Order: sequence, then structure tokens, then C-alpha cells
Amino acid sequence: MKKILLASALCATLVYGEAAKVLPVEKRTFDQSKYIPDISAILDFSYVNNSVGNDEIAHLELPGIAHGLLGEHSHGSSNHATYNSKQGFNLNYAEVVLSSNVDPFFSMDAVFHFSKNGVEVEEAYFTTTALGNGLRARGGKLNSNFGYLNAQHHHYWDFGDMPLVYEAFLGMHGINELGAQIQWTAPTPFYLMAGFEVLQGENEQMFGNKTIGNVENPIAKGDNAPSLYVGYVKASHDIGDTTIFGGVSYAQGSSRVDHSEDETPYVFSGDSKLYGADFVVLHSLNSYSSIKWQSEWLSREMGGIQYNLNPISSPNINKKQSGLYSQLIYTHDKNWKTGVRYDTIYKNDVKEDGIDANKPNDFKKYSAMIEYHTSEFARFRLQYNRNNAMYNENGDKVDVNSIILQANISIGAHAAHSF
Amino acid sequence: MKKFITLLTLLPLTLLAHLDIAVSYPYIGALTKTIGGEHITTTVLAKGNWDPHFIIPRPSLIAKMRNADALIMNGGQLEIGWLPPLINRAGNPKVDTNAKTFLNLSHHVALLNKPKEVDRKDGDIHPDGNPHFHLNPQNILLLAGVIRDFLISIDTEHKAIYEKNYTDFSTAWSQKMKIWSEKMKEKKGLKVIQFHDNLAYFNNVYGLTNIGTIEPLPGIPPSSKHTIEIIELIKKEQPCCILHDVYHSTKTAEFISEKTGIKVVLMPHDIEALENISDLSSLFDHLTSAIK
Repeated sequence: MKKILLASALCATLVYGEAAKVLPVEKRTFDQSKYIPDISAILDFSYVNNSVGNDEIAHLELPGIAHGLLGEHSHGSSNHATYNSKQGFNLNYAEVVLSSNVDPFFSMDAVFHFSKNGVEVEEAYFTTTALGNGLRARGGKLNSNFGYLNAQHHHYWDFGDMPLVYEAFLGMHGINELGAQIQWTAPTPFYLMAGFEVLQGENEQMFGNKTIGNVENPIAKGDNAPSLYVGYVKASHDIGDTTIFGGVSYAQGSSRVDHSEDETPYVFSGDSKLYGADFVVLHSLNSYSSIKWQSEWLSREMGGIQYNLNPISSPNINKKQSGLYSQLIYTHDKNWKTGVRYDTIYKNDVKEDGIDANKPNDFKKYSAMIEYHTSEFARFRLQYNRNNAMYNENGDKVDVNSIILQANISIGAHAAHSF
Repeated sequence: MKKFITLLTLLPLTLLAHLDIAVSYPYIGALTKTIGGEHITTTVLAKGNWDPHFIIPRPSLIAKMRNADALIMNGGQLEIGWLPPLINRAGNPKVDTNAKTFLNLSHHVALLNKPKEVDRKDGDIHPDGNPHFHLNPQNILLLAGVIRDFLISIDTEHKAIYEKNYTDFSTAWSQKMKIWSEKMKEKKGLKVIQFHDNLAYFNNVYGLTNIGTIEPLPGIPPSSKHTIEIIELIKKEQPCCILHDVYHSTKTAEFISEKTGIKVVLMPHDIEALENISDLSSLFDHLTSAIK
């Protein structure tokens, strides 16, 4: 009996199923496929050869400034890796980008980084489109517009790694924070823009407000969030086929830097200021060929208490550190591009209880690259780095030479990049 | 009161009440200025001697967009590589794509060569069809009408003036079109080679046949394999010439010319593409006399 029922039910489904044909998309009554946002996927894959092995490279540092810039290492349970971190092949990320208008008032963008550490919401923000008067507001997780490079995505950079001073001061994501941003473009005949951001303050290298240690008896007490404020002014003018672009930026916030699980454990608690100036000159030779000179200077002041955990001490620390990068990129045509970059951190004044800690200040790095683009959607880059900035734990300088062969491939929607 | 306002509009003082209209390319600027006359000013974003697909979104263009009262673009995805970030950064709802003060010209023209399939394997194709529609002078007239209607819709007060400017332009342009047709009559049926299919609409209206392009696929630079194929094709099909744009290097074209003996003819695509192209008439004067 059951079998008969089942068979007749199946027959009925077949008969009536025939009637309910699958309609083409445009004829479906409640079809929403036309509202699919712009989607793109970007792959960043590299082959790396360093003159220093994986184990050793992760222990190199810029004394008094940063450690763990190269290679990968663990922070408790989480594994932390920079781009191009290990010898051999690296999947730096597979990035998925979604963007669309929300309604007549907002657009939304979301950028997800898939890597072996999981999925990270790299950016997810809404942007106003209807404010007018040159105003634009944005809220969510975003790349700050501090400086020139910070707001650009990794795949748009001219080198596979971050400039030394950026990575040393701010880490590989730069100022990437939860927060709100407002920008105003002035009604001037030349480009003039001013912006202000209120950000949570969760930068591992420099800004933070979390209580470190156990809540009842913390090593460093936290501060109220949001605790990071960023402001900047940018201007640009064209002289013939040459565009000159410059900006000054300032960031100020609480600092809670947690290195309590490192080999030399310490916690820093205080306040920090970051100054930036950027200058870009782009000269177009024709539609496809150009010369671009891009430089940024960063300088920071950090003041507070460093809680050394082994052996225990808590000196007053005052850091004044400055560095810059300057790069020259020549785009030959739609296929070829080549460039050089000079990196330095030239000032590293660290005072412990008012006494100069005599930290080195001769950090330099040289890079050169050549790129081949098969189309706008695929580029292959060969980069050579000569890094004369790193020191080992004994305080001895270790030169690192690296070759990076990088493939950056994108499919789907291809959003145009701003200047 | 009304009379007083009408009087005012006749005075040059009304310069102050100008509409500042941003346009993507010089030909749109010239056309808009022709219809708008003294009641508008135009700000052209892209330079006429450069590849219209590849314009650097310089910050100075953001300033221009920020101060504009309206935006007229070519459309058909020609500006997709540079205009969106400018709109995004301008903070000016008047130039946004949903505004009444925004005009996409491609929505008013029947586009040629709309691809049946859209796949990047076939190069950097335009999914909506070939966007270089302004190189058919009939389309220029059609677009002049579209711009007239647009200006009237955003500035009704000067309706009569825009209509008169259009009528004047239409009369003069129609006469010129006759001359150009006459000049091109004997060229009908000629086969041509191009670098990129810029002249699809020009060829279409004057009966020229494009038999191949120097770039193997749209947006993909020449390859030696494809160049050899083109040389073979030219030997077989006997086209008159290579019609070349002004912004790509003519190196490959000259090599082909050397091997086959056919001429390379520079064909400006817009005003200012060549030094002597100062307005729309001189653009078509030049195009229709270029093939000797």
C-alpha cells in the first residue's frame, strides 16, 4: 500500500512538475538576481626565497621599534603571519569583495580576506552618497585615509610588501579600524580635502585601549574606547600632464601594546602621536606610460610605562622615532612596469626613565621590482629586497636578501582605483 | 517681475547664474556648449588626444566634479575605468548616476556589436556594445537632441534658447553631413584594418568594412603571431589602409605597412586628438578626407 502511495505521489510530482517549468530569470515574479552586488575575487600568491631561514627570520627585530616583521610566529593560540612570510610558496590571501548601492542614500562595501588563519573582515563599511556640499561620511571597519598608502588595498601597491616604516610603526594592515570617518572636499578650483576619523584603537603595534593582564589585578589598565583620532588635509594640482599631490596627517590615541607572551615579555601602556606627510608626483608620458614618484614620512612619539615581566621592572619610556620611504615607478606600457624603493628609519630615540637607551638608528632597506601584466586583471611581479634593517636577539645586524615572485589575479567586477 | 527676470537673462550679468556642466570627453563638451550657448559652461574631464578608456583619475578631476551642477557622460562602459572613483569622492549628489542632472548618452543610442557572450577570455570587451558611437555624424545630431532635452529638463527657463540653438545646429550640421556623404561616396565598399574597432560607427555609416584589428583581442596588445596573421589577411583581402588611432603606438602598424605596402592613416577620435581638430566639424572634415 505504502509503495502504491509513494509511486502515485511520484507520478503526480512528475505530471504537475512538468507544468511548473523553470522560468527564465527575467520572468520570475519575485526574482532578485538583478540586485546582486558587484563581486570580485582576488588571489595573491607568491614564491619567496630569503637568505635567512624561516626559524631565524621570525626572531629578527628593529630594536626599540618592532619585532616579528618578517616570517610568522604565534601569539598564544593565534598564528600571525605577514605577507610573503615563509620560504617557498605563500597564499597571502584570497580576497572577496562585495559592493553595491544600498538605497538612494548609502553604498556598502565589504572585503573579506580568506587565509589559512581563517576569514577576516578586512573592511566592511557604508558610505553616504547623498550628503552633498563635498561631504562624505563612512562608518564600519575601514582603512584610515591617514597618509597615502594606508587607504590603498594591498593588491594596488607597487611592491609586494609594505614600506618598512609603515610596517614597523603600524603593522601589516596599517591603520585598519572600526570607526567613523567624515571627509570634506573644498569648493576650490584645485583639489583640497580634509578628513577626520574617530577610531576604536585596536592597532597591535601602536594604538590600543584594552586592559592587559587579569581584570582584578591588571598589568596595564585599559582606557575608554574609542581612543584613536585621525585628521588629515590633502591637496593636489596639475601642471600640464604632471599631477602633484601632497598631504599631512596626524593620529593620536591611547597605547596598550601587549607583548606579554613574547620571549622578552613586556606590556606598554601610554599615549602615542603619529605624524605623517606624503608627496606624490605623477607625470604621464602618454595614455599608458608614466613616471610616478611617491614618498611618505612618518614620525611618532610614544610616552608611557613599559611593564617588563621578566625580570620585573617598570621604567618610564619615551620614544621618538622617524622614518620614510621613497619610490620611483616607471610604467612603460600596458604590459611592463618597473620601480625602485628606498626605506629608512633614521631616528630611534628611546629613553628609559630619562636615560638614553642607545638603540640603533641605521635601519635601511632597498627594493627593486619588475612587473608584467597580461591584462588589467593579472599581474606577475619579481621583487628583490635587500633589507639592512634587521637585528637578531643578541643585537647583531643580520642582512636579509629576498626574492619575491608574486602573482596577483582578479576575476569578476573590477572596480576602478582612485588616485 | 517676470519681465525683469527675462531682461536679466539677456544681460551678460547672468554669467553668475551659469550651469557648470562636467562632461567626460571633448566632443560632449563641444556639443553641450553648442546647445547650451552662454547659459552654461562646460568642464571637460578627459583630454582628447588620450585613449578614452584609460584616463588617470587625477584628484584635480574630483575638484571639477565637486563643483559641477550636472554631468554628461558617454557611457557604454567607456568611462568604467576612471569615472566611478571620481563620482564616489566628489561628495556631489548632482553628478551621481541617479540624479536628474546626470545624463548617460549611450542610453539614447542603438549600440553596434553587442557581444552575445561576455567573457574576459575574449579580451576587454564592452558588454553593452561598441561605445564609440559619436563617430557617426548622424549620431551627433541625435545626441544634440538628447542634450537639448536634458538641458531643458534641468533649466526650463531657457527652453526657447536651447531649442533655437539646436535648430541652428541641426540645419548647419545636416548640410555638412551632405558634404561628408558626398566625399565618402567613392570610398564605399573599401576594406580597412584598424588597431581597435574605434571607427565601427564611421565605417557603418559610410559603408567601409573593417576586416581585422592589429590588437588580437580588445585591450590586448599586439602579438607577433597575430601580426603575421594580419599580414596574411591583408595580402589576401587587399584592404585600402590601416586606420589608426592617435594614442596607440603605430610601431606595429608601420611594420605591417612595410610588409604589405598599405598606408597607415591616422584617424582622430575626438576634438584635440590632432592639433588641427578644434571642433566637431573639423573632426569630421578630417575623417572624411583622411582616406586618399
